[in-house]
Amino acid sequence: MNAPLLQMKNITKFIYGTDGKPIKNSDVKILRSVNFELLAGEVHVLVGENGAGKSTLMKILGGLIPPDEGQIFLKGRAVEFHNARTARTNGIAFIHQELNLCSNLDIAHNIFLGREPTKHGFRDKETMYIKSKELLQSLSTDINPSTLVGRLSTAQQQIVEIAKALSYDSKIVIMDEPTASLTAREIAILFDLIRKMSSKGIGIIYISHRFEEFREIGDRLSVLRDGQYIGTLSMDEFKPDKVIQMMVGRTINEFFPSSHIPTDEVILRVIGLKLTSKTKPINIMVRKGEILGIGGLVGSGRTELAKSIFGIRDFEDGNVEYQGKNITRKKPYQLIDEGIAYLTEDRKQEGLISEMTIRENLTLSSLKKVSRVGLISPSREHETANRLTKELSIVARSIEQLVGTLSGGNQQRCVFGKWLNTDPKLLILDEPTRGIDINAKAEIHKIIDDIAASGVAVIMISSELPELIGMSDRIYIMRTGSVIAEVQKGPEMTQERIIEYICAGCP
Amino acid sequence: MNALLSSIRYFAKKNGSFLIFLILAIIASIAVPNFFALDNFAIIIKQSAIPLIACIGMTLVLMTGGIDLSMGYIVGFASITSGLLAKIYQWPIPAVVLATFIVGIAFGSLNGFIIQFMKVPAFITTLGSGYIIYGLAQIVSQGSIVSRLPEGFLAIGRTEMLGLPSSVFIAAVVLLIFYIIINKGIFGRSLRAFGYNAKAAEVSGVPISKINVSVYIASGLLAALAGMLFTIRVNAAQPNMGGGNFNFEVITAAIVGGTSLFGGVGSITGTLFGVLSIKIIENCINLMGISYHLYMAVQGVIILIAIIFENVKNKAL
Repeated sequence: MNAPLLQMKNITKFIYGTDGKPIKNSDVKILRSVNFELLAGEVHVLVGENGAGKSTLMKILGGLIPPDEGQIFLKGRAVEFHNARTARTNGIAFIHQELNLCSNLDIAHNIFLGREPTKHGFRDKETMYIKSKELLQSLSTDINPSTLVGRLSTAQQQIVEIAKALSYDSKIVIMDEPTASLTAREIAILFDLIRKMSSKGIGIIYISHRFEEFREIGDRLSVLRDGQYIGTLSMDEFKPDKVIQMMVGRTINEFFPSSHIPTDEVILRVIGLKLTSKTKPINIMVRKGEILGIGGLVGSGRTELAKSIFGIRDFEDGNVEYQGKNITRKKPYQLIDEGIAYLTEDRKQEGLISEMTIRENLTLSSLKKVSRVGLISPSREHETANRLTKELSIVARSIEQLVGTLSGGNQQRCVFGKWLNTDPKLLILDEPTRGIDINAKAEIHKIIDDIAASGVAVIMISSELPELIGMSDRIYIMRTGSVIAEVQKGPEMTQERIIEYICAGCP
Repeated sequence: MNALLSSIRYFAKKNGSFLIFLILAIIASIAVPNFFALDNFAIIIKQSAIPLIACIGMTLVLMTGGIDLSMGYIVGFASITSGLLAKIYQWPIPAVVLATFIVGIAFGSLNGFIIQFMKVPAFITTLGSGYIIYGLAQIVSQGSIVSRLPEGFLAIGRTEMLGLPSSVFIAAVVLLIFYIIINKGIFGRSLRAFGYNAKAAEVSGVPISKINVSVYIASGLLAALAGMLFTIRVNAAQPNMGGGNFNFEVITAAIVGGTSLFGGVGSITGTLFGVLSIKIIENCINLMGISYHLYMAVQGVIILIAIIFENVKNKAL
């Protein structure tokens, strides 16, 4: 019997500590003993929530990161990839969601980048263009190989990526959300190409969240959840309900504090906001004392919406009304004065200034409160920093410690402290518990509940469904840049229903 | 022992520029004849005062991660404008001073505006504007030097107090004002936050456009003040005053003062000792009768070493 094209056995990846060493005894693992199999000529769909481990598994296969444990077999032969190049020479092509082409070079140069054909030691352009032309024709496209890649549409660039993969004689092609930015017609062309590749015996790993595509293109489907392999279905067995069951699995056994009581007073209204020229307008509102959840995939427009409200991202059209006042396109420093705060998803790059001390970070957004005539009062600043450190139980040697040296949980407490000191009336939280250990998470949840209980309106973006459901009074679901559903607290608010909205667009 | 070492290291880190100054002063006192004399110290202070004013402006710009290469040319333009207005057009002295300041503010605003709102890198913007300003200064002066300036104008910087000219006291006042703004003020805190991480600072509510534009305005204004005081000191207004060499000297001084070329780090006291340190080097080269060009080479070495050190330090992190 022939060995399958690809087998990944017991692949494990640990989480890494701040010292850069793997934490082997932690309950949390990025991947735990994952098995995955791909047959020649098969389109194998890989699904899972954000953070389920799909990307990590594929990065290991693509040679971008090494596995901590486990082995990879190609046609039964054990292989080890030290970098992307060895993976590629072993016939593995990785087509990323964000395409990796040089827009200032033409198609032929992109296809043969770094291995241009030569003749007498000089680059043999003629052969390069002829070969490129052949490759493109084999994909039934007649784009001129001397066209600059920057001038191509996303769909055409994808074709170039596929041509490049074929030129390497790839046996395995990994496609990460290839249809994310394509139109229906372009998707049909792409699916034709995928079928063409699989008919040549190429195995295709197809990562996607779009249930509607699976039956059309897939042969089998595997589910990952929380870094674990859950199971594989053949497409005859495919039913959205069944897959959702496999994706959700875990029950909500965490305790979520709920002492806050929402009021009827609307504090913020987003009216007809279009994130880009192509997305549908967004209309949402949030009330005083309410926790409003926003669910959706990474890239569904959640963060973009938050940033548009907070004036750090440009958008196409629409208005933002806050307490009856138009605050569209105001700058953060103006919005903070109005009582709006935004805890970013990217704590390191946007949330804190790691080279500054806890004290300086805590007061950075409310310097006026500790100052007189533009001069900071050292005693008042120390008082404020000490008070916030105590209130939020920030663990540190002193308030003069650099924020960059704190743990994730303590850093996040600092960000909360910074915003609480601005006396916000509306607090926007973007992934407030990302990268934080379980105990600290529960404390952050408590902080969020307390804030809402004090009458603040909270918007909470989260990829973690238990957290989203456990904390929110209402949830908006976003998909491809717009809000597609609203779910009220109650029996309707289940993980299954929300995943259905997120992945399928409708229940 | 370890504790002692680490506290020494801490002191050295916090007061690096002071230590450099001290070490240079001690070496010079021992090795260079005629260095250790009250008269010579007065010379060094006199020579440091005016560059210090400009160097404070450069420090602010460097703290944002930017650079102002037009500074030396603003010095030249301010020199010729103040000289022409005071002598040829016989404007009243306060009007001359005001006009000079406005010139500096105008060039600074132009730099700041292009850098902040048209997103042109500071290096390119100020390189370009510097040459524009240089060209304008040549046209305005028609290549001539205006000397023997009116007494009232000269009095601004030449009035003797406690054996030192008033320009030294003007520099001291500028130093004090900016020390307070940077070390005690909201502006200084915001400036550092901006220099370390502009994105996080913006999200935290630092008005980054205002900060970024105002450092170039401050830089232009202080350059114009320095240009006017230079003119008074040499009693001649000339468009070639300042220039590229002056930029280089000021940037070197700021770096010796512990200011990072990568933004965020910088201090006003550091800048004071940075200026004093390089002026000691210049002074020694003069006293020893070595070619003045060595001074420029030494500055180049200092800048390169500082950048290499900083790169090594950043890699180690």
